[in-house]
Amino acid sequence: MLGRITYMELRTGWKGLLVFGILILVVSAGMVQLFPFFQDSLTEQLEGENKVNLELPNEQRGNITLSWEPLENATSYMVLEDTRVSMVTAKIAYSGEGTSITFEKDFEEKRYYAVMAVIDETSDPVLIGIATTEKGEDPFKELLESPVYAGFTGGRSISMLEVKGFITLEFFSWWWMLAGLFIAYLSVSVIASDFENKRMDVMLSTPISRRRYLLEKFGAMSVIALLMILVAIAGLAGGLTSIDALNEISAATVSLSLIGCLPFLMVIAAVGMLTAVLFQKVRTGMGVTFAFVFAEFFLYTFGGFSKSLEWMKTISIFKYWDYSSVIIDDLFKPGDFIILTALAVVLIAICVWAFEKKDIPT
Amino acid sequence: MNKVPVLETKNLTKMYGNHVGVKDLSLTVYKGEITGFLGPNGAGKTTTIRTCLALIAKTAGEITIFGLDSHKDAVAIRKKTGYLPGDFGLIPSVKVRSYLKYLLSLRECGSKKKMASLAERLELDLDRKTHELSKGNKLKVGIVQTLMADQELIIMDEPSGLDPLVQQEFYRILREEKKQGKTIFTSSHNLAEVESVCDRVAIIRKGQLVVVEDIQVLREKTGKVLEVEFGDPVNIDELKLEGVSEIHQDNGRFVLTIHENLDGVIGAVSNHRILNMSLKTYSLEQLFLKYYAEKENHERGGA
Repeated sequence: MLGRITYMELRTGWKGLLVFGILILVVSAGMVQLFPFFQDSLTEQLEGENKVNLELPNEQRGNITLSWEPLENATSYMVLEDTRVSMVTAKIAYSGEGTSITFEKDFEEKRYYAVMAVIDETSDPVLIGIATTEKGEDPFKELLESPVYAGFTGGRSISMLEVKGFITLEFFSWWWMLAGLFIAYLSVSVIASDFENKRMDVMLSTPISRRRYLLEKFGAMSVIALLMILVAIAGLAGGLTSIDALNEISAATVSLSLIGCLPFLMVIAAVGMLTAVLFQKVRTGMGVTFAFVFAEFFLYTFGGFSKSLEWMKTISIFKYWDYSSVIIDDLFKPGDFIILTALAVVLIAICVWAFEKKDIPT
Repeated sequence: MNKVPVLETKNLTKMYGNHVGVKDLSLTVYKGEITGFLGPNGAGKTTTIRTCLALIAKTAGEITIFGLDSHKDAVAIRKKTGYLPGDFGLIPSVKVRSYLKYLLSLRECGSKKKMASLAERLELDLDRKTHELSKGNKLKVGIVQTLMADQELIIMDEPSGLDPLVQQEFYRILREEKKQGKTIFTSSHNLAEVESVCDRVAIIRKGQLVVVEDIQVLREKTGKVLEVEFGDPVNIDELKLEGVSEIHQDNGRFVLTIHENLDGVIGAVSNHRILNMSLKTYSLEQLFLKYYAEKENHERGGA
């Protein structure tokens, strides 16, 4: 797997790799630095809920009383009602100068009420807070459990107020794309550029078999993926240490969550190399490999939309790199690791088989 | 002395869909010889060479190199074969020396000493970066990488484009390699370019082998073309000498086709005042037209 071709690949590409490594380090360490600010801002937003009080009737039917703390310079108030916290389909339930409203509960489903203060005619209303008919619930919880976020959380209940939740949503949603697409780009170009720049004839006139050539290039991809992961671990662990959050999430947890990404990246690398062998063009190979990565992501996301679509998740590689399981539940799944590794091995075997059959173009 | 075959193709055929790359090509390259593989562009030279090296799959026929199957035993064959492709790229942004050392390490044979000596003789600067090289220098890198590993069989696809002086040194190197018992198979679309080094010539046209001939025999059969312009009146009969097969006269300029007795002809010509003179080998196309006129006419008649 590792040999002179691997070494040459790393040697000629070291400058690009170094720049990319620095980028990973800065972003992974830097992003964690943002957490305390993010936490403060989110807490402030959530505390707004306390400024709005919603009293439910004791029985199934009855009156709901919604009251809120007055805002000093408010001229009037507005209450929006919706079944979703995002308020995208909200209707105006009240508009006036009062600080409480009472209305009949003539519905079963969960509803959200956003209370806004109107300051003057020219500026936008200010959000005082959001209340829900489901008592004692973080109104943002539903948002995080929604299918949109399920791709990142695995449908787990997480809180963005904790560093664990922050890393799961903010770091990993960025990481898979950066690391995944970088390895996709590299794996296509290390093979396809040898075709395009007519280096393949000389390479394959040496006693290097096509299999060894591919395996050594794959070895180089593995080394690069591992280095990227190690840099990200160092960045995250360093960042967590600097904000004194290592007691909430240990370095071992961070390492395990990212190590699980290695076979995930290897599968992408194998797909990249396969497309390079099949199409022998950097642009075509890259397009197909990028499409593969995004398709896999959408399969995983769409699979979370409904129970009947769950099969989509099963065929997505994202299901088998469950970083949120490691971070939130402290559970590393070796089975998933093995499945992805096996898939990478199968793809590379297909790649070798295809390469041995293909003519080398002039 | 019995000739030992090193590379042998039997009824080699390579089709690209409906297009013929090479058809029924049977050719033998013998040990210790320099065999020229001639043909116009697009004749199938590169296809033949790349099929032999298993870079492309054959459609039909057999290829054996060192008695081994060219496809099944490709790696074993490549251990003993050096190859210069007709068109190739180098790994960018490294020094020529590093690039060549890298290839030496992949070949697991040859020596840095030979690499350095070849580079010196071909006037190649090993400390230049690969992406800074001119076309000619890139070719030199290719030649060095082909020869440095001291392999038994050297296959080259159109190694042309060197400066005339370096080209001469390159031919000297090839002759030295041959003396050491190496077998060389080199393609070209220019007969004049290879005739000074080749022992035998195989000519391919439209994917089919036309002839394989000793260079000496070919020379005698085709002859050379002497063009001479005189400063004084010359009677055409004076030039009808032994070994001269054709004479054309055109405004004081004479064109003679000579098969032998070159010194006798030059002697006769030098009795007059010469304004201009050149001696040329037939170009490949002229060779086809002349040497295979019958076949050509037949083909044309059929077309």
